[in-house]
Amino acid sequence: MIDSILLVDDEDLFHLVFEDACSLLDMTLSLEALNSSDEADKLFRKWFVEGPIDERPECVFVDLNIIGSSFDGIELIRKINTDYGNGVVIGIISSSDDNQEIEKAKAVGAQFWIIKSDEIEPRLEEFLKDYDGYVNKSAAFKVYK
Amino acid sequence: MINPKDTVQEALLKAKAKRVYLEGNLVKILSKQFPAEVKEYIEECKTKDKQARKKRLDVTKQVQSQNKELAQAAEDNEKLMAELQVALKEAENLRDEAVEDLDMMQKRTQFELIGLIVRVALIIIVGVGLTTTVLYTIAMMANKDTTILGNAWSNLFGILLTNSFSIIGTIMGVKYATEKK
Repeated sequence: MIDSILLVDDEDLFHLVFEDACSLLDMTLSLEALNSSDEADKLFRKWFVEGPIDERPECVFVDLNIIGSSFDGIELIRKINTDYGNGVVIGIISSSDDNQEIEKAKAVGAQFWIIKSDEIEPRLEEFLKDYDGYVNKSAAFKVYK
Repeated sequence: MINPKDTVQEALLKAKAKRVYLEGNLVKILSKQFPAEVKEYIEECKTKDKQARKKRLDVTKQVQSQNKELAQAAEDNEKLMAELQVALKEAENLRDEAVEDLDMMQKRTQFELIGLIVRVALIIIVGVGLTTTVLYTIAMMANKDTTILGNAWSNLFGILLTNSFSIIGTIMGVKYATEKK
């Protein structure tokens, strides 16, 4: 089970879907959902500059296109991985399966790409199986289709 | 009622008696060391929570899917409206062109008719003029009375001279109008 998860996605309905799916799969005990990458950026900057670092979530799921944000999910991952000291399992959760975007995400240090669809639970289940590999950085980048 | 002095176990048993079930991740962190009666209640809470989550997940997914369909329908509608606007604009342009063509054709027909009338009138005037001139010449050569023929001849030439400019102007106008689209 993952200690704490942060979801960054502009779609409120998906927050509910994700929360319920995580609960049904016993994926985590603590889930926080944010609507914009700016909010996430602010939080990570705060944790990085002021601490405490243990308040940071263990795993972050970022949407690719976050409407109403100054930057997209890939830029948020880049910032977290390069500007805010990395240290979290991080990846994209998006309905897009654009190869160019997937390559871009990989280049900035995303560890996984989960494709959103009506049946998200089997993908999350599969992700959960690989999770330890992401924590100890032994698992290669993977797209969950 | 549960009060602050109750132990966790007592509180859980009171909740069970009232058929009040705990929900959410709190249920997952309750110890497994409780007595069988409490454990049974916790398991019931977990089952009910799972059922409620599953139900909510299904409803949320359904709403999400309907929202997507609505968004897609709105997008299609917008596209269709844009296409309709373009088609309407094209139809309006075609109608304007047709009206313009019809107007031009009517004008052209009118000018052609005027031209024909002017040409026929000119032929008649010139014909009568020539006939009168020939008759006048023959009468002069044959030493006949030329009073009536002379008056008629001079009247005809007077009419031809006074109207020549307007006749030529009309012919030029007709020519210009019929040459144009």
